[in-house]
Amino acid sequence: MKKFRNKYLMCAVMLLLSMGSAGHARAQSAAADLKAAAAAAPTTTQLSQGDPGGTNTGTISDVPVSNAKAGVTVGDVANQVGQNKIAINFVWTLVAGFLVMFMQAGFAMVEAGLCRVKNANHTYMMNFTVYACGLFAYWLIGFAIQMGGAAGNGNLGGLASLSGEHILTLFGTHWGLWGTKGMFLSGHTYDVGVMVIFLFEMVFMDTALTIVTGAAAERWKFLTFCVSSVLMGAFTYPLFGNWAWGGGWLSALGSNVGLGHGYCDFAGSGVVHAVGGLTALAVALVIGPRIGKFNRDGSSNPIQGHDISAVLVGCFILAFGWFGFNPGSTLGASAAGNLRIGTIAVDTMLAGCTGTFASILWMWITKGKPDASMAGNGLLAGLVAITAPSGFVSTVGAAIIGFVAGVLVCWSVAFVENKMKVDDPVGAISVHGTCGLWGVLSVGLFADGTSNYGGAWNGVNGSVTGLFYGDASQLVAQLIGIATLIGFVFTFSFILNWILDIVMGQRVSAETEVAGLDLPEMGALGYPEFVFKPEPSYMTMAEAQASA
Amino acid sequence: MAANNSQGRSFGLFLTGLTTACAGIAVMPGGLGVALLIVGLVILVASFAMFIKIKPLEGKPALGAQPAVMKLVGSALSAGGWIVALFGLHLTSSVGGRMAFAIIGLAISLVGVVVILPSACNKNAIWKA
Repeated sequence: MKKFRNKYLMCAVMLLLSMGSAGHARAQSAAADLKAAAAAAPTTTQLSQGDPGGTNTGTISDVPVSNAKAGVTVGDVANQVGQNKIAINFVWTLVAGFLVMFMQAGFAMVEAGLCRVKNANHTYMMNFTVYACGLFAYWLIGFAIQMGGAAGNGNLGGLASLSGEHILTLFGTHWGLWGTKGMFLSGHTYDVGVMVIFLFEMVFMDTALTIVTGAAAERWKFLTFCVSSVLMGAFTYPLFGNWAWGGGWLSALGSNVGLGHGYCDFAGSGVVHAVGGLTALAVALVIGPRIGKFNRDGSSNPIQGHDISAVLVGCFILAFGWFGFNPGSTLGASAAGNLRIGTIAVDTMLAGCTGTFASILWMWITKGKPDASMAGNGLLAGLVAITAPSGFVSTVGAAIIGFVAGVLVCWSVAFVENKMKVDDPVGAISVHGTCGLWGVLSVGLFADGTSNYGGAWNGVNGSVTGLFYGDASQLVAQLIGIATLIGFVFTFSFILNWILDIVMGQRVSAETEVAGLDLPEMGALGYPEFVFKPEPSYMTMAEAQASA
Repeated sequence: MAANNSQGRSFGLFLTGLTTACAGIAVMPGGLGVALLIVGLVILVASFAMFIKIKPLEGKPALGAQPAVMKLVGSALSAGGWIVALFGLHLTSSVGGRMAFAIIGLAISLVGVVVILPSACNKNAIWKA
């Protein structure tokens, strides 16, 4: 027995020694490879000859070394690989964010184009100023509420300093409510990764804020718009944003109560568009319809916008910016399934395309003309609807989602105006609210289970899968998200804006509205050299009555 | 009377109050944080007092009175439906049961949002006069 044990021990020692020596040999081989590569790198003399083909630029000589005496080591190379991954993801996320920022111009053109010329300056100014209002509020406190507990994003270096989430423990499970780190981007959150995620999330927030200006255009007091927008950027949007994207309770529905992968919203049909659209509805309800919009019998009058070319060009600017919105939401182009960015971009384009077709066909068949403004809204409806599912669906799913959205927006515009008697000059409630909710729902239906963002989503292993591909529980998670959007976000926005109406008044005076908001509110006409065409008789009668 | 310098001053005060209050929250815990928060809240209240003061000077909007009770009922229904949907998560563990609760909750919320609140807000609309 003792002999056997000794033999066994000797074999184990020999094995360990041989493994050690094999490892040592591999390490020596790697070091030799690195030395050889360093020796073969282009010399300064060679580089001074120029490099038209690019074959000599970007070599082992560009890898920073930690020890000049030792030269390039495997550790140096591994560090550089890690840096490169993060740098690629930083650049991708930032450029995508810049594209989304440019969407502000698109929104401005769409909304102003759909309004009358006497309100052009005011409408453009609301879309211009909302950028500053939202950014400031988000920097103060909004970002902290939304992303203060969002640590753990491997794409951007970990974001470890965003490590404060206020949690409620209920029925034995933890529910994140709001974040606490990142106010003023100071202290430990003065961090390169945090700056990237701040910029990206901020431009999304501003998109939600700017949506509201469209529904309240032509009668929203500029002062109240400013205050309302600041409060929305500071509280309304960030709260829901935390619940969906910041590690909050909605995203944890999967890990906490077994509902699929929790509430899934890839790029924000719910977080951005439905929040914006539902807040737009809340403000439009409080602020009331424009003078002359409805007749005594409840029928509505069309109030033509002044520049359809601005509307359609604005829609294209928005469509271009959406390439930042959806594909950018991977927060990276390297590792963790991020190469799906091409699929996401194509899904986005397709949904916009089928949305356009659906709206044009619906209007052409039911009303006899391919209406330009509804065509633009159809494009936007498709883009809004694909925003949530874009990271999880195939091109067929995307096309269907966009088409349904294109029909839905036409129906919704008519319903909001004719049944609810809510005046929405640009269709913001229907495009962003209705189609945003449809986008959230469609994740629970069309997610096909082929995406793979690092093997898990919202802390649940596997790919997001909807009802049509075998997971009904994902649909339930999406329904809870929709219930939260309507039940919390809308109600919160309604009460907040109701209070603002009591305190400061949401709507301009009747005289100001009749004259047009440009001169009374802004001090200058949008088009000072235009000769204004007389308004239709139903409008002048309504205005005279309102002013009396 | 539309936009004027009183509006500008009140908005400036509002931004100052909000910034100061947030600075207080950011540096908490500590005496400085509490002090900044209190000062910020005081400035915010002052700004809202200015808003209330200048509101009557801005003319009458073309908006009828909206019954407050009806608006509260609509808001309560809207929020209540959400609570029903959430409650269903703990009442049952079956997917079908949770889906049913979610749909029922949504329906309740939609009654508030689509029926009650528009009726309340349009009850005395100027176009009905």
